[in-house]
Amino acid sequence: MSVGFQAVQWNRRKIVYDAILLASVALFIGTFVTVGALRNPPADAPAWIGLRIKALGTCAFTMLTIILMIGPLSRLDRRFLALLYNRRHFGVLTFFIALAHASSVVDWFALQGAMGDLVTEMTNNPKFGQFIGFPIKALGLTGLSILFLLAATSHDFWLAFLTPRVWKALHMLLYVAYGVLVMHVALGVMQEDQRIHVPLLLGGSFAAVTALHLAAAWRERRWEANRAIYLYPENWIEVGPPESIPDKRACIILAPDGERIAVFRDGNQIGALTNLCAHQNGPLGEGCIVNGLVTCPWHGYEYRLADGCAPPPFTEQLATYRVRLRDGVIEVDPQALPPGTKAAITI
Amino acid sequence: MTRGHRAVHRLLWPVLAIVVALGFTMALVKRPPPEPPAQAEATK
Repeated sequence: MSVGFQAVQWNRRKIVYDAILLASVALFIGTFVTVGALRNPPADAPAWIGLRIKALGTCAFTMLTIILMIGPLSRLDRRFLALLYNRRHFGVLTFFIALAHASSVVDWFALQGAMGDLVTEMTNNPKFGQFIGFPIKALGLTGLSILFLLAATSHDFWLAFLTPRVWKALHMLLYVAYGVLVMHVALGVMQEDQRIHVPLLLGGSFAAVTALHLAAAWRERRWEANRAIYLYPENWIEVGPPESIPDKRACIILAPDGERIAVFRDGNQIGALTNLCAHQNGPLGEGCIVNGLVTCPWHGYEYRLADGCAPPPFTEQLATYRVRLRDGVIEVDPQALPPGTKAAITI
Repeated sequence: MTRGHRAVHRLLWPVLAIVVALGFTMALVKRPPPEPPAQAEATK
């Protein structure tokens, strides 16, 4: 994979995804503003901006909550993989909505000639040592800065430049941003608005994200606990009879070092590849073989089963593992071969 | 996810979830009580 700039590679699926996303965001904000204006008509321009601030903030927070739910939902049910496909555009749009929310706050202060108050609140606020009354705008700015960093590095250029390992670790900062923004709402609008629906929606969103992550983690732990490693002579790992691997799919095994290996069967051909897709370290073994190529379930990156190489003109290569059939049982050598080494066998 | 990412994810999540849950609960408990109806009416 070259570290050269390439514009977003649009395809029909991405266009449909983004169109639905934009329409949903427009519908959410439009409905929020309309219902808000009908229930409590804004009296002046600052009141209108106030309504805009609430609509954009609620929308950005809802989007962030959904983004964090997509990962565990996809692990629990493959149907949610469709949402994961273009999650990066979802994230970038969330940043822009959050930026519009922050910009509306600046508008609100500017309209009332109170920009000095905003600067004082951010720079010289005695309430930084307090819990209730803590300057929520500082929390919002922290969350927005993290979202900016993630949106700015979301392109494949940065993924290739930083390497998938570093990129993935960096993008885990999204959890920190979510935590900071939950507190931004809890110490902000939840203190001002006495209605019960604010804590219910905020607590419910946070609880839903946490519960889904716990459910996915519990399932993973159970899978790992049931995955006993049978080491044969020379430390080979038992997979099972060839028929135990579903055709065109993989059986994921656990190597003694804790990494995962995807053992695919394509008819009579059996090959073992690393479970990490070269693109974003997606779970390759949860994908399937389409048109003779191992296809990652996240973004459709393709590899040959025989040697783990992406078909030309693509240049990605995966580590492969030696496979053998002994006494009717498939065994895999957990020692990774150099990426692109031919290792699959025909039975 | 690599083994390292899984380890970080498993460590980061519970810590963050507990901190945020505590913060949210404290913010909920310390929320000022709603204004009595008469006073709310008077301030309108």
